[in-house]
Amino acid sequence: MGRKILGLTVCVALLVSLVGGVVVAQAKEVTLTVVGDAGHNLRPFEWYQDDFFKKFGVKLKVIGVPFAETYEKMKIEFVTHTGAYDIVVVFPKFMGDFAGNGYLVDLDEYAKKLDPKMDDVTPGYGKLYCKYGGKLYAVPFDGDVLSLYYRKDLFNNETEKAAFKAGYGYDLKPPATWKEYLEVAKFFTRKKGEKLGGEVLNRDFYGTAFYGQRDWAWAWWGNRFGSLGGVYFDEKTMEPAINSKAGVDALNDMIAIKEFCPPDVLAFGYEELKDAFLNGQTSMVIQWPCVGKKGADPEQSKIVGKVGVAGVPGGMVKGKLYRRAMMPCGRVLAVTKDSKYPWEAYQVIQYLTTVTSLDDVSTAETGLDPYRYSHFAHPEAYEMFADVESAKIYLAGVEANMEVGYPELTIPGAAQYDDVLGLEITKALAGEKSAEVALNAAAKEWTEITKRFGLKEQRKLYQALVKGWREAGLWK
Amino acid sequence: MDKGKKSEKGKRSSKSNTLIFVVIGIFLVLFLSPMLWMVLTGFKHRGEFFTYPPAFIPKHFDWSNFLGGIKLGGGKAIFDILIIASSSALISLVVGSLAAYSLSRFKIGGKNLAFWILSIRMLPPIAAALPLFILYSSLHLLDTYGALIITYSLMNIPFAVWMLKGFFDELPPSLEESALVDGCGRLAAFYKIALPLIAPGLVATTLFNFIFSWNEFLFALVFTRSHVTPLTVFIAGLIGGHEILWGEIAAVGTMASLPIIVLAIFLQRYLVRGLTMGAVKG
Amino acid sequence: MGSEKSRIRSLRIRRLTPLFFILPCILILLAVSIFPLLYSLWLSFNSWELAMGLPKRFIGLGNYIRLFQDVRFWLSMKNMGKVLLFGVGSQFLIGFTLALLLNREFRSRTLVATLFLLPTMIAPVVIGCTWRQIYHYSYGPLNYFLQATRLSGGINWLADIKLALPSIIISDTWEWTPFMMVVLLAGLQSIPVDLQEVAAIDGASRWQIFWHITLPFLKPIIIVVILIRAMDAFKLFDLVVLLTRGGPGSSSETVAYYNYLSAFKHFSMGYAAAMSYIQLVVIIIIANFFLRFLRE
Repeated sequence: MGRKILGLTVCVALLVSLVGGVVVAQAKEVTLTVVGDAGHNLRPFEWYQDDFFKKFGVKLKVIGVPFAETYEKMKIEFVTHTGAYDIVVVFPKFMGDFAGNGYLVDLDEYAKKLDPKMDDVTPGYGKLYCKYGGKLYAVPFDGDVLSLYYRKDLFNNETEKAAFKAGYGYDLKPPATWKEYLEVAKFFTRKKGEKLGGEVLNRDFYGTAFYGQRDWAWAWWGNRFGSLGGVYFDEKTMEPAINSKAGVDALNDMIAIKEFCPPDVLAFGYEELKDAFLNGQTSMVIQWPCVGKKGADPEQSKIVGKVGVAGVPGGMVKGKLYRRAMMPCGRVLAVTKDSKYPWEAYQVIQYLTTVTSLDDVSTAETGLDPYRYSHFAHPEAYEMFADVESAKIYLAGVEANMEVGYPELTIPGAAQYDDVLGLEITKALAGEKSAEVALNAAAKEWTEITKRFGLKEQRKLYQALVKGWREAGLWK
Repeated sequence: MDKGKKSEKGKRSSKSNTLIFVVIGIFLVLFLSPMLWMVLTGFKHRGEFFTYPPAFIPKHFDWSNFLGGIKLGGGKAIFDILIIASSSALISLVVGSLAAYSLSRFKIGGKNLAFWILSIRMLPPIAAALPLFILYSSLHLLDTYGALIITYSLMNIPFAVWMLKGFFDELPPSLEESALVDGCGRLAAFYKIALPLIAPGLVATTLFNFIFSWNEFLFALVFTRSHVTPLTVFIAGLIGGHEILWGEIAAVGTMASLPIIVLAIFLQRYLVRGLTMGAVKG
Repeated sequence: MGSEKSRIRSLRIRRLTPLFFILPCILILLAVSIFPLLYSLWLSFNSWELAMGLPKRFIGLGNYIRLFQDVRFWLSMKNMGKVLLFGVGSQFLIGFTLALLLNREFRSRTLVATLFLLPTMIAPVVIGCTWRQIYHYSYGPLNYFLQATRLSGGINWLADIKLALPSIIISDTWEWTPFMMVVLLAGLQSIPVDLQEVAAIDGASRWQIFWHITLPFLKPIIIVVILIRAMDAFKLFDLVVLLTRGGPGSSSETVAYYNYLSAFKHFSMGYAAAMSYIQLVVIIIIANFFLRFLRE
């Protein structure tokens, strides 16, 4: 009887140690959950799984969320503290909300141990979009900035050049000011049957196009607004300043240029805007960097080899040309406060933003765009261009615009401000209201929103934001 | 006598018959053209989605979008929602038909109970999203089939109750009464007599309960992460910020309608007049 | 004595039977819905700006007062009125017509009915993407046909402030008419044949049969199906996101879209909850109105 009990105890002990051993062995392997907008931009997380495991001992579980619903998906999990995510791919627009509400880990300490090389990052991204309240909360992953793309074949065409000089009195070139932008657009807007670049058009041709849907239309307005010296709020009083002269002029300019855009421009989202240019329907377009890359792809572009890149037009402020290019969207990587392995998570994102970043932004397998000076310095890496020269031109254009980046509003509650602004701007563009009435209505609503959030708190946050912008050299 | 009647009818309305078929034909064309466009889009490649003239016939007919869609997770997405939708439709049918019978025959709870049941479906889903998220989170039901099956049943049961109540109201209670008099129990009268007689209603209700669950987006988005990937969330994931996979979307959409088409064809048989119809004589 | 007991027992069973039939339904609905209903009701009396990370703050009827003064909300409700009148209305008329046409024996009837059912069976997100392509001004097949047949130079479906909402309504009608058709067809199929036959023998015209037999029989189904569609029309959201984002301006903004923005983009949870409850009240009023028809 005693022997039986002994035997049983030994068996149980062996079993327990076996299971325990297995459990312990599994516990050593860390799994981090990454969440970001679904699609090709999450591919780098999959590509380097081996590296992550070998170097940091982590395995990644990658969750893709529909692009349009990323914000709410992340926010709900944060608010209820489910701890479901370790690494988040954030749109900088939400940094105010996520960092400000304490969902993200302050990375300054980690950055001291493992340098994310933020000096190599263009100031717009490095200083504006990764920091909040003076602290580092994210590292950049994808750099978005609006650039001016134009049909260099048309701009170099002798007949067109002569006709333009005759009509407007100066040489045809990528427009430097909004006034020139309007004139060039008007010049190139032709009807079916007219001639363009020596050929007869079989479809209507337009000068330019813009993003007309409510969600990002305001960014196209922002290009003009920023270049005319506009600011979102008055720093001291927190009174909205979007309906200043700069704002109204910017919107009137947009209304004026609508005449030289395709008739359905107000329904233009990303796809429609890209296709309008790459299908050869417009002479210019102001768009994200990916248009330059896709323009070189014969599968997606009918104008391969004809795409020129230039700086976004600017306004004349005190006699000098003042350019500002909006940086809408973009992506940065952050670590959540609820994560159980923040150091491992930081190692992963540091790896992606330094070691592999050039590969990731220069490949056609992702939609990630350059944001480091080192990215701009290696045109040979960009595989989608037929030759290094084209890549160089493209990168030079994007870099020039990034240098004058105009930041999105990133204080908490930005979503509400943006929504109202987009609503009123599209109303004015649709002809429902005048520019002044629309922007006044937006400003009134902005005041209400600020009141609901608490004016003192919002002012403090905005002032901190502007301080950061000034330090980056991107704010007057 | 029937046969004679039919031929008489036939002679009388051959002109109106042709007219009817023409009208049906026109509607068919109107309703199916967008469907055809969707199916064809599944075969298109980049550069063919937005072009002039529109690409009515894809350049190549290959399955790359279909296979690509499955590879991206479309297969699992269809499987997941199949389980969720079937479970919910079944639960709603059983619970709903019982409740509908009770409301129709016994007038239990009167108008108020029936209205309360319907009012569950009236609350905008967005209002229930956060509270249910909190509820499921505490029950560890997030990212499981259970969360969505329960939620969809919550929406489908009122629908089933009201639809089937309408059909039960349409059905004269005479047959059941005679069965009861003969000693049959109420439950037996319910499923042996009443249910088969409203087969068309059952079919329509089940079909649409299934379809509602299949096509729902908001709750599917909020209550799942990675273990459960409902179809609608998966397809929405193909709509990227700077890249919309039009071809894969159309391909997966086409593939996803196949199970429902199969279900519909299977159920169509019961939608048409059953043999038992003749039994109900005034 | 024994038969007395069994009679009492069978009476008790007879009285409890209806309860057993309805109990599962009540239990499930109550268990799952009670928390969301009460939670959002309570939320609607609070200000909870989650975007700012602010705590909940009781403000009584503050959200409702703000809602009544919110022009944007009433504009979206006006849009819902259009959706109900033109959308649900045309869905019913077309659906009923189709059901009547299909309510006769012919060989390929099963195939035709299944084909008509297809639009409802496709995921709304795919429908949205498909119609976005179709409605495209320059590259869409619809304008191409209109231009080719010289019917029009090109209609600005999604960008014209007057056409954005009608375009959405057309897509929605396309999507939901099959639902109406199938349910009404099921209803027509459930009408006892002999009643109609007897009337025909007695010399009643087809129109009289339709008006005095078919329609009254169908009334419960018609009321229910229109009611259900009207309730669901308030949830119109996917098409708005994919086609117009509520624009240009707020011309195509449905109340479900504005509610979604308030809850999940602005994260003004209290305000969104209040908006949901106002919608609930409106739908209840509409439902009552319809049900009064039913009881007549």
